[in-house]
Amino acid sequence: MDSFLSLGQGFLVALEPSKLLFAAIGVLLGTAVGVLPGIGPALTVALLLPVTFKLDPTGSLIMFAGIYYGGMYGGSTTAILINAPGESASVATAIEGNKMAKAGRGGPALATSAIGSFVAGTIATIGLAFLAPWLVELAVNFGPWDYFALMVLAFVTVSATFGDSPLRGLTSLTIGLMLGLVGIDKLTGQTRMAFGVPELFDGVEVTTLAVGLFAVGEALYVASRFKGNPEEIVPIKGSLWMTREDWRRSWKPWLRGAAFGFPIGALPAGGAEVPTFLSYVTEKKLSKHPEEFGHGAIEGVAGPEAANNASAAGTLVPLLTLGLPTSATAAIMLAGFQQYGLNPGPLLFTENPALVWGLVASLFIANAMLLVLNLPLVGLWVRLLAIPQPWLYAGILVFAAMGTVAAKPSVVEVGMLFVFGFLGLLMRRWDYPVAPMVVGLILGPMAEAQLRRAMQMTLGDPMVFFENPGSATLLSLSAMALLAPFVMKGLSRFRTAED
Amino acid sequence: MSHLTNTIRGVAFAAMTLVASSAFAQQELKIIAPAGPGGGWDSAARSIQQVLTQTGLAKSVQVVNVTGAGGTVGLAQFVNQAKGDPTQLMVNGITMVGAILTNKAPVTLDQVTPIARLTGDPLVIVVPANSPIKSVKELADAVKADPAKVTWAGGSAGGADHILAALFAKAAGSDPSKVNYIAFSGGGEALAAMLGGRVTAGISGYGEFESQIKAGKLRALAISSGKRLANADVPTLKEQGMDVEVVNWRAIMAGPDITAEQKKTLTETVEKVVKSKEWAEILKQRGWEDFYLAGEPFQAFLKEEQVRVGDVLKSVGLVKS
Amino acid sequence: MMSLLARRRADKRALVMGLTLLVLSVVVWRDATAQTMSATYGIGPAAMPYLIAMALVALGLGHIVVAFRDGLPVPEHADGIAIGWIALGLVALLLCIAFGAGFILATTILFAATARAFGRRALLVDAAIGFGLGVAIHLLFSKLLTLSLPAGPIEHLF
Repeated sequence: MDSFLSLGQGFLVALEPSKLLFAAIGVLLGTAVGVLPGIGPALTVALLLPVTFKLDPTGSLIMFAGIYYGGMYGGSTTAILINAPGESASVATAIEGNKMAKAGRGGPALATSAIGSFVAGTIATIGLAFLAPWLVELAVNFGPWDYFALMVLAFVTVSATFGDSPLRGLTSLTIGLMLGLVGIDKLTGQTRMAFGVPELFDGVEVTTLAVGLFAVGEALYVASRFKGNPEEIVPIKGSLWMTREDWRRSWKPWLRGAAFGFPIGALPAGGAEVPTFLSYVTEKKLSKHPEEFGHGAIEGVAGPEAANNASAAGTLVPLLTLGLPTSATAAIMLAGFQQYGLNPGPLLFTENPALVWGLVASLFIANAMLLVLNLPLVGLWVRLLAIPQPWLYAGILVFAAMGTVAAKPSVVEVGMLFVFGFLGLLMRRWDYPVAPMVVGLILGPMAEAQLRRAMQMTLGDPMVFFENPGSATLLSLSAMALLAPFVMKGLSRFRTAED
Repeated sequence: MSHLTNTIRGVAFAAMTLVASSAFAQQELKIIAPAGPGGGWDSAARSIQQVLTQTGLAKSVQVVNVTGAGGTVGLAQFVNQAKGDPTQLMVNGITMVGAILTNKAPVTLDQVTPIARLTGDPLVIVVPANSPIKSVKELADAVKADPAKVTWAGGSAGGADHILAALFAKAAGSDPSKVNYIAFSGGGEALAAMLGGRVTAGISGYGEFESQIKAGKLRALAISSGKRLANADVPTLKEQGMDVEVVNWRAIMAGPDITAEQKKTLTETVEKVVKSKEWAEILKQRGWEDFYLAGEPFQAFLKEEQVRVGDVLKSVGLVKS
Repeated sequence: MMSLLARRRADKRALVMGLTLLVLSVVVWRDATAQTMSATYGIGPAAMPYLIAMALVALGLGHIVVAFRDGLPVPEHADGIAIGWIALGLVALLLCIAFGAGFILATTILFAATARAFGRRALLVDAAIGFGLGVAIHLLFSKLLTLSLPAGPIEHLF
């Protein structure tokens, strides 16, 4: 009850006209900068932090909330429109979203991601307001063994769904895992697979691989068949807005996405990628139209995008209650708090309730504003696809180059973009799925680090995975997911799948 | 008469300060932050930029982020491009000293011109609130008894946190190569491991753990700097009989082969920045500790630090001797 | 016809893929053996590379088996000239950044070359559009976001 009252007071703060203005500016700036590929939410917040210097703490934090949610949202727009995910959490959105955009369903794709972000963001913000203290206990008790088990579950479910040839799917995944080895080993500081090139010491950037394989690879592929078999891009086919059917197919994925995103986002090392992949896989399994997956299924956009946004709100749970920055964006948010001498953490709620609840309230407002801002933009965005194809793809390549160069202006990085682009072309021509490679690059290093931390803490005792209820549950789920198809349909199906 | 001389003196003085402060007033300066936007080196670089432009010490200042390999990518580029150029500066710190060694970087800090040390944040050693360990001595005894059983949570391998853990083990009479140090990426995850009681002790910048310490969720055993912090009642390691001092310092460097004259001008400019009230304000805002040191003493400090960090990294096996 | 051929001769593409994977496994394995340091506790930095190297061997052998059975799906005809134009644009981007010619020039060439790959002939018009785009991006980054993109002679004019 206390929380309701405090939240009400928070709304009184956040609904002041001047505060609303700050929220609106934040949302606008966040979306505008977040749309640029290569500039993810973290960099967006870092760049716009100085803008907020001059405001009073509450106003500035409210603007911050707007920038944060706006930046999160902007990344999915490029993923859908030009297949260039601005951050690793938008990779899953790009898979179906870009297919939809090319088939003239960019409007519904952008709309379902905007509304899904709003729905999931709102649910997650409610969770933040009322469940935070309880959830954070859980989050803190999530050990490396639990994370490892979670990664195993993500691996098992994801690799079971990509492509129709297990051999080619696994090859793609394994090459992704191999790329994940590149760079300084987090636990020992040793460099692996970097061959003495300092630019490789920090590893392969997920966005470089994703943009290379997805955007550059796609451009090369389309160009290679442009003469004989030109691709048709239809900016708008059917309704620009979501039809009744689209709504029917979207609402459950939104809710499930939020259910994945919020709790996993609240985990200190949960991240936004795992819930988006889990959501994608779940929607593919549960969809009544599984055959549409890979050709632009709306569930595959609605779910991951909702999960992405819910996890962004989830990140705020440990940040506000513990002062734990669990993502790059959150770390910069923390710096934002500290510029006013505020230390998020156990004391913030009691020392400065007006500010905290004002912030939570403004998250609701920022979310609503994003929806209001983005829905009218959908029509505008979609018309970008009406640009003649030579210019459209030339523009896509320029933006892809810009994103890569802005994140890391080095020859090595551009060289990698080049190589990954041609790899993407080759994989498309030879029918290898590209997404598992990105999944391997994202999940591989996380899984390895958590496994090794677990072994270091227990001095090499593998029983820890079975003794802890969390990891034991997650591992048995993975085992079930792995074995279920065999048990259900027998080995015969596996043989036909190989063909 | 005397009034007139005073006025003349005043004008002359004003003119002199104007001349002195305008060494870069007509020039564009470039500061390399060898890390991504938002991190410690980047905020240091942008803070210096802010003060230089606000005080009119420089016409315009550009911050360039060169990420990679603990700053050694930025260093290599800086050594190349800033050769003999007095308008380029680079921010760095203790992590770079370690990264040069662990990454076997082709360039070293001997190739750049050290200007000044700016800030130095102490590290803090904490244990979870419900830990049976109550003092530095008990922790040291535990490390000595069985270093494997004492797990440390901290930042990247070979960084300042790791160095402190190794020096602590050594001072406790244990073998630094046996330290069970678990590297986490980012302070958040390490802090969660502490709060969940999964590790014995944790090391981080004091600022990152401050609110947890004040809320009683973590127990601060010691800070690693030479003297206590003004706003926190945590004893130093030295007070508790451990002869260990590690400070996460940040400094500013100029390029190779600049003239003594140019170096003097840069040093004076940096000194003006550090002495300005704008800088004092930034230190307060960010919770940074002033650790200003310039000229010969700083060069000597840098040399010592390179030797010391090298020894520690060898003792934990990160660098082969 | 195709299946008959595939049975008589090994599928070249699957063979190439299989051999590439085997070569990669050797690279990963050799890199892992070069690790000088193992973890004092738990699992060392070489364990995961060994595992991946073994997976690569298995997949490489799998491809070689496939090469002698069904082979990989046959790709449709590719327009090598179009790919060449885009490759040219990307190489120009690489060179511009390597030799400090700046981002605007790189964008100009990349845009024009890509448009050419998609069948446009008005190279100069496209270059002009690419130049405009490059200038706009440069101004956006340097003036508004205070981020620096690689600068060359053209950038210094602004």
